[in-house]
Amino acid sequence: MTNAAHDRRDLPLAVLLMLPALCLVLVVGLVPMAMTVWEALHGRDLRLPWLGRPFVGLANFVEAAGDSRFVDALGHTVAFALASVPIEIALGAALALVMHAAVRARGAIRAAALLPWTIPTVVAALIWRFLFDAQTGVLTRLLQSTGITSAGFDWFVHPLAAWVPIVAADVWKTTPFVAILMLAGLQTIDPSLDDAARMDGAGPLRRFFTITLPLLWPSIVVATAFRVLDALRLFDLAYVMTGGGPGTSTEPLSLYAFAALMQRLRFGYGAALSITVFVLTFAFALIWIRSMGRTLAGERS
Amino acid sequence: MALTFSGSSLGAEGAVLRSQLDRFAAAHPDVRVELRVTPDSADQRHQLYVQWLNAQSAAPDVLQLDVVWTAEFAGAGWILPLERFAPEVGDFFPAALEASRWRSRLYALPWFVDVGLLYFRNDLAPEPPRTLDELDRAARRSIEAGHTRSGLLWQGARYEGLIAVFVEYLAAFGGGILGSDGRVIVDEPEAVDALSRMRRDVGPDGIVTRSALNWREEEVRLAFQNGGAVFMRNWPYAWPLLQDPARSRVAGRVAVAPLPGRDGRPPVAALGGAQLAINAHSAHPQLAWMLVEFLTAPEQMLERARLAAQLPARPSLYDERLDGALPIPVPPVRQALEHAVPRPVTPVYSELSEILQVAIHRALSGQQAPAAALSEAAAAMRNVLARSGLSPSGTP
Repeated sequence: MTNAAHDRRDLPLAVLLMLPALCLVLVVGLVPMAMTVWEALHGRDLRLPWLGRPFVGLANFVEAAGDSRFVDALGHTVAFALASVPIEIALGAALALVMHAAVRARGAIRAAALLPWTIPTVVAALIWRFLFDAQTGVLTRLLQSTGITSAGFDWFVHPLAAWVPIVAADVWKTTPFVAILMLAGLQTIDPSLDDAARMDGAGPLRRFFTITLPLLWPSIVVATAFRVLDALRLFDLAYVMTGGGPGTSTEPLSLYAFAALMQRLRFGYGAALSITVFVLTFAFALIWIRSMGRTLAGERS
Repeated sequence: MALTFSGSSLGAEGAVLRSQLDRFAAAHPDVRVELRVTPDSADQRHQLYVQWLNAQSAAPDVLQLDVVWTAEFAGAGWILPLERFAPEVGDFFPAALEASRWRSRLYALPWFVDVGLLYFRNDLAPEPPRTLDELDRAARRSIEAGHTRSGLLWQGARYEGLIAVFVEYLAAFGGGILGSDGRVIVDEPEAVDALSRMRRDVGPDGIVTRSALNWREEEVRLAFQNGGAVFMRNWPYAWPLLQDPARSRVAGRVAVAPLPGRDGRPPVAALGGAQLAINAHSAHPQLAWMLVEFLTAPEQMLERARLAAQLPARPSLYDERLDGALPIPVPPVRQALEHAVPRPVTPVYSELSEILQVAIHRALSGQQAPAAALSEAAAAMRNVLARSGLSPSGTP
């Protein structure tokens, strides 16, 4: 029997076996997404039922393009990803190298390093909010006593400084996640490569840049993808720590979409904003996986 | 027959409500009253109400509405106009009644009221200030003498409470958000002056700590009761907490007065509180009305004041009957209530409020000049009114 014939005979069984998973994806993924797209093409304000639910085409997206608060939120979201992810990748890699090199108490060290990752984001946000609190915050007092910030300086009232606690909390919370991904990568590197290089007289820096880093690259690509996708969906840290303020200077896209949907109850416009978040993350994922995935595949072959 | 009531049902508030609902049911043996519990956060309750009423649900029959929601629910046709029940409205505070009307029809009855007050340290300032400038001078004296770190405290976070403070500054300067004809007037000179004053107060040389821009009522109260300021703007709920020596460092050294206006103007206050309305799809509107009438009757209001410290919406009750019954001095509260102004009465209030919150917060945190922030906000607000078909005729 040829392979093709074999495949054809198994096809009904294969479809049957995949059906539950396909249904699930359809029901929890594709259908709600299609409904959101449909909603975004309509005007609907729950509080103004006399306006009905007219089809408005792309009017919601046109409105968003001219909405300075939306454009600002888009900028904030991208800037947050650019600011936080590189720090997380660098620190995560460093942490992974330390954990990898640890000879004693490996389990304890790894558990301790992972602790921030296990704390719910809202709780982490509250902790960091207290640390930076202008009246009672430990960090604020420390910075004031060392003269780095002036007395009465309030992080959360300054439009740029308000980002510092948000980025700090994100780095603190997600670096362990990056480190674990990197550690898994490090453990797949054959130690004999390192030994051989050492025999040939390569120093630690040389060995890191020519052996460890290139072999760790796939893990870095994956970790970056995870982190950027997460950063583009930033919501809870900003919601809890600043509420998007002062003004709207720390408001990311998801928070603005939430305000439009749940506070103003403008379902059409809110749906349009949600879709921009989706398109943004999807576009990044597509481009990143295509370009990086290709280099990885190229290296392997 | 069964009636459903929906509103705040936590703590003392819930206990009073349950016993009053039981009394109503006892007086009407064929009626059962169910209490439908809703989240205590105003935003979440609002969202839930909107979902129910949009779906034309017949329950709850009677709803507790926040004072700023009534026009929205009336405009949407979700609650019944009350004229058909011939309500007796002679004895309600005018501002509370104004907030119960939409397009000159009455849609709700005031249930209890809340009002902005000036708390002051009578060991540092024996007499309450009569004008904003007197307040400013007394606040600066206290800071310069090292008595307190701040002069005045108010809630300045970007949320609904900020609008209450803004409304009070506006009233002090003779400005407003919407005119009586529904036009946006928040970009006029009086409003710009009011916002500029707020900005000066919370600025580098001001009398309000800059951190107040992150604070809601509770942070404000905590700072004040720890001795952080000589004046505080807050609602009546703070009074018993401030007087509790176990928790408050300033117990016995606090008094309360109406918030001063500017120069010769009368005192100012923002109105808060709740109203009762009837679901337009209720199966038993007549019965629902009887429940509303019962809950807003003087006896029930007095009981609510005594047990849950929520102030009656009827001025006639502010006499010797309330002395001792209310856990707060009655004369200043009554005076504040007489001058209280409601926030704008419009179906799109929450959207207008959000636009203003952002503009005010940008101005106060120094990101935008007051005039620019307000003219941008006013343009956005006019847009919202136009999009909703609510523009007053004859204006763009």
